[in-house]
Formats: sequence, structure tokens, C-alpha cells
Amino acid sequence: MSTIPRVSSGVAGEPAHFGSVLAHQPEIAESFFALYGHFWGSDVLAARIKEVARMRNARVTECGFCRNVRFEKAVAQGLGEEVVDDITDGYETSAKLTDAEKAALKFTDALIHDPELLTGDARAALQRHLTPAQIAELGLGVTLFLALAKALITMGLEPEVMDRTVLPTPAVLEAAE
Amino acid sequence: MSAVCAALAADPVLATHYADFSAKTEAALDPALVALVREAVAAVHGMGAAPDEATLDAGTRTCLAYARRMPFEHTAITDEEAATVVAHLGEAGFVAFSVLAALADAECRAESVGLPELAGEGS
Repeated sequence: MSTIPRVSSGVAGEPAHFGSVLAHQPEIAESFFALYGHFWGSDVLAARIKEVARMRNARVTECGFCRNVRFEKAVAQGLGEEVVDDITDGYETSAKLTDAEKAALKFTDALIHDPELLTGDARAALQRHLTPAQIAELGLGVTLFLALAKALITMGLEPEVMDRTVLPTPAVLEAAE
Repeated sequence: MSAVCAALAADPVLATHYADFSAKTEAALDPALVALVREAVAAVHGMGAAPDEATLDAGTRTCLAYARRMPFEHTAITDEEAATVVAHLGEAGFVAFSVLAALADAECRAESVGLPELAGEGS
């Protein structure tokens, strides 16, 4: 896995990172950030569950950038590091993750790794803990987390080193609406 | 319609934004290449036949070989492989191609878990 950017920044004076590289395609960038803002702004599914799924995806896809970023909204909903630490193999036995979060994690694993993980009891648990609308939002989230992590990695945008960083939650820019 | 768009049928705001993101990504590339990438990635997932590459130029075949690595080998793609795609598509094209290939993979996976059915049941 390369930490040397495979594409240059599209913003003069800025190093290559996901946002500056996406600037090579401004229409894609604008559309993505609008989508991502609406996704995180929706409260159909709690930001904490979205972030739990994002953290799991970061670990499985080996996205160091994703793994070190935290979004404020999820932190405010109680997603502390002691909970994040449990989002690893064996999360099923965690006392800090809720049953709904464990069901969301199983769905995440099924989507990003092996669909056979979401059969029988796991599927029933997902449907017991989340409404169809929440599952739709979770599915959108995991799809985006996975795709963006892979795009970021394959464009060589993984940081060599990165501290844990709490960022403002993506939001819809009023001027864009 | 992708599995993600189908799953979002009850949420027109997110569905519209997702469809727009996907459409803008596809619009940045040659439509023929978009279709080939989606076919190649789907074939890796066992969803349909791989595209016939007999009449394709070398650059397009290079892109498809790269796209086929996205589902299960994304961390093994080398700088040299990426450079050949950049040489064929240019930097802006490579950005759109990277997003497209990754999105195509994720959409296949969403279909594999039955996302539309899960999101539709009981709604």
C-alpha cells in the first residue's frame, strides 16, 4: 500500500489529500460533499451507529486516514475511544457496544467482506434492531465508506503518520442548496 | 438502478443525491469505459460475464485489469499499475476512474447482501 500520492493535488498550494485530489473533478466533488452532508445530517440512523460502521470499515479496508478521523456528532453521542477499541474482531462479546451496533457491525462485515455473514440470526437481529429506513441509510453509509476508503488508498493518499483527529461532522453547505 | 438507489426508494433526498454522485462520476469518463468497468467488477463478484476484451485497445485493457483488482486486492495495487492508468486517462480521469471502480465494487456488495430487500421489508 502506497503512501506516495499517485495523483497530484488539484488545488494550488495544497498537498494531495482526498479533497484536493477530488478537485480535479469539481462536479464529482460538489455532488459527493452534498451527498455526504445530507447523509450525516440525517438523523434517521444515529450518527453513533454510522460512525461505528465507518470505524469497522476503516479497520477492515486498512484505511489509516479513515481510522484516525472521528466526527464530532458521533463523539457527542457517546462514541468514546473505549467503545471504538471494541470495534475489532470479537465485537460480538463487547459490553460497550449496544445490540443495535453489533447488528450494524455484522451487516458492515457482510457488505465489505462476506455476504454469508448476514444470514439467519444475524439478518433477523438487524431487522429487529433497525427499521428498513435505518438499514437503507446504513447501507448507503457502508457503500460510501468502503468506496471512498478504496479510492483513497488506491490513489496513494494514505498518510504516513496521522494522529487521531476529531473533525466537524460533514454538513450541507447552505450556498450549495 | 443500483442496489443502493433501490434501497433508498423511501428517501428521495438521499436517493437523488446518491444518483447524482454516481451520474457525475460516470459522466467524467467515456461511457463505453464506464460500462466495461462495471461489467468487469461485477464479473469478479460472480454477477455476470466478464467483458470481451478481444477488440479493446491496450489502454482500456490496462484499466480493466486495474478495476478487477479493486474488489479483493486494493491494497496490493502498485505505483506502477496506477501510473499506467494515469498515463492512459490523465490525472482527472484517474480520479474519476478510481471513484467509479470503487463505487462499482461497493454497489455489487450492497446487492450481494440484499440491501434493497432489507430496506424494503416492512416499509
